[in-house]
Amino acid sequence: MEAVSAAQIIFIVVALLTVATTFLVVTVRNLIHAALWLVATLFGIAVIFVLLDAGFMATVQIVLYIGAIAILIVFAVMLTRRVMQDVGPQSNENWWLGTIVAAVFFAAISTLLWSIRWPALPGAVVGDTVLALGRSLVDPNQYVIPFEVASVMLIIALIGSITLALPGKQSE
Amino acid sequence: MSIANFHPNDLLAILPELALVVLAGVIMTMDIVLAENRKRLLGLTTAVGSFVIIAAAVIFSQPNGELIWGGMISNDMVAFIFRLVFIFAGGITALLSVDVKGVAHKGDYYAIILGAVVGMCFMALAADIIMLYLAVETTGIAGYVLAGYVHRSSRSAEAGLKYFLFGAATSAVMLYGLSLVYGFTGETNLTAIASVLASGKVGISVILASAILILVGVGFKIAIVPFHFWAPDVYEGAPTPVTGFISTAAKTAGFAVLIRVFITGLTASEYWLPILVALAALTMTIGNLLALAQKNIKRLLAYSSIAHAGYALVAFVALSELGVAATVFYLMVYVITNLAAFGVVILVSRSGAGEEIAGYAGMSRRSPYLALAMLVAFLSLAGMPPLAGFFGKFYVFAAAMKAGLVWLALVGVLNAIIGLYYYLVVLKVVYVSPPQEGALAIEVPRAYSFALVILSVGIVLLGTAASPWFEWALSAAQGIF
Amino acid sequence: MIPTTYYLALSAILFSIGVIGVLVRRNAIVIFMSIELMLNSANLAFVAFAREFGTLDGQLMVFFVMTVAAAEVAVGLALIVAIFRSKASIDVDAVNLLKG
Repeated sequence: MEAVSAAQIIFIVVALLTVATTFLVVTVRNLIHAALWLVATLFGIAVIFVLLDAGFMATVQIVLYIGAIAILIVFAVMLTRRVMQDVGPQSNENWWLGTIVAAVFFAAISTLLWSIRWPALPGAVVGDTVLALGRSLVDPNQYVIPFEVASVMLIIALIGSITLALPGKQSE
Repeated sequence: MSIANFHPNDLLAILPELALVVLAGVIMTMDIVLAENRKRLLGLTTAVGSFVIIAAAVIFSQPNGELIWGGMISNDMVAFIFRLVFIFAGGITALLSVDVKGVAHKGDYYAIILGAVVGMCFMALAADIIMLYLAVETTGIAGYVLAGYVHRSSRSAEAGLKYFLFGAATSAVMLYGLSLVYGFTGETNLTAIASVLASGKVGISVILASAILILVGVGFKIAIVPFHFWAPDVYEGAPTPVTGFISTAAKTAGFAVLIRVFITGLTASEYWLPILVALAALTMTIGNLLALAQKNIKRLLAYSSIAHAGYALVAFVALSELGVAATVFYLMVYVITNLAAFGVVILVSRSGAGEEIAGYAGMSRRSPYLALAMLVAFLSLAGMPPLAGFFGKFYVFAAAMKAGLVWLALVGVLNAIIGLYYYLVVLKVVYVSPPQEGALAIEVPRAYSFALVILSVGIVLLGTAASPWFEWALSAAQGIF
Repeated sequence: MIPTTYYLALSAILFSIGVIGVLVRRNAIVIFMSIELMLNSANLAFVAFAREFGTLDGQLMVFFVMTVAAAEVAVGLALIVAIFRSKASIDVDAVNLLKG
């Protein structure tokens, strides 16, 4: 066994922290706390992205996931404030079934992953990732159609969420 | 950058989708410009626009069977038929919405329907898992908004949330399955994935695991057992035109994805086929048995639509040209028939009779023509000759028999008999039960009678002259094997 | 260096916890956060695979998944707020969800 490198130590620490915060997201009672643990999890995943040489993805993860999505969730929690101190049962009566499904899933996937041995990772992927990413998004021979469909999707989401969240007239 | 490789003809291939987006923009603009009392034009424009786009697609966008736009989409006949079906369903849905309270005069409602149709078209076209996932999500998000559209009614908002939570969770599971596919083949293009699988480098367990995970996402879309829980509640709570749209077009789009992923992509069928065969039998049986007990017409149609997904799956698991052709033909028939059924349901609930089956009592005496449209639609759903539904089921069972799945065809025939029973119970209420005191004729605005005439003629036409349509589906199916 | 299997194991753990959250919790916002966890773990797998193969496709997929997540959060939270306004509760009751 060769010496443990700095990257490995960072990976192990961040991975353990991320698993812990993820567990807290789904277990804590207070929604604001859950949202904050979600931010911590998202940040942990961003660090893992950096370890995987995906620096641009890490940036997008922080800007988009933490900056927009997590903040929106916090807003939603605050807008629906009265349920925050919900005293009722936090889990449904089929909780054991859900846990079993998740456990079976985890067992299956980990057996699967362990059955395959990859060599240790080679060095960084390609030269200028951001440039290549940007070009492939507008190249007709690569991803221009998904890119345009994504824009249609975002417009639908924009119009739709405005319509849904607008406090409409009392009489229709 | 290889802009030199860009072919202007590729733009022509996606002309229908481009036109749909433009149409959505026109509708949004009209919404601002039009006076309040002329907003009925919004739905009519959407419908007329959709039919014009169908005509334009037939003239200009005939498929050539090639992978275009960098292998993102597959411009083949199967996709072409599915796209025409989606655009047709979108147009009819718009037509059936023009006098429904809460949605009729909203430009954004029609624009989101058109957006959903664009998403569905790309679901049928997708030849790459990235394209596929985005198209599925585009359709999904539009669907969540539409189901919750009348959000001041708590039933509709609840339907939207339920649809959303189920949809987002199952598509996340599907995404994990797609990540496994990418991870173990190194490819995102479905054809390339198939050739890696053919080389035998990928283990059985991996293929099986990804197939199951992807099936969760697709199973939600087509509402098969055991991913059907959301369907009755969402169908009941959503605005009725949206229910018609989700239960027909969105389900068909799910089948398009099923064909793409499992026939073009994960070709190692021997591993996942037994699962799909079992699900087909379960879906038909559970859907039909639960439909027997329903008192609400929308819930009845929800369970019957689960059963119909089962029949279409029976043809799919034959995994042959005949099977795929039967699936495509069955879905064409199902979309037209179910839209007609929902058209009648919309008109009856508009008249104030509610959505309980008891409210349909004596409809034949109150509105004989509407009752006739309902008779045609329900008998076709039940699979009675000479209507389209009969030939749909005939080809489905023929495909299963030819593939050696005789027991599955038998289960299907038994189910068709159960189905016949509950459809006839509804028709008995319509034709035999006496009308309630003081019940008036049901008002049928002209847009609705137009839509119902088109659909009824379609049902009869696909039944009495089934073979040219089936030949068309067969020629499409030959293109993907 | 760190073997790809480790990243994938982490992604599988996160995904399983997300699945537990979706299946067990009753509050719509918590279920929604669990779905975000599932999406993130899939993203993690995609980036790990992308590095394994030295191609960009995996990263592009992640890019699109993030776009989808942003669209989903907007629509989902709008629905949650709309429901809250009409009912003042966002509990997703299992009985109600699984009603036959």
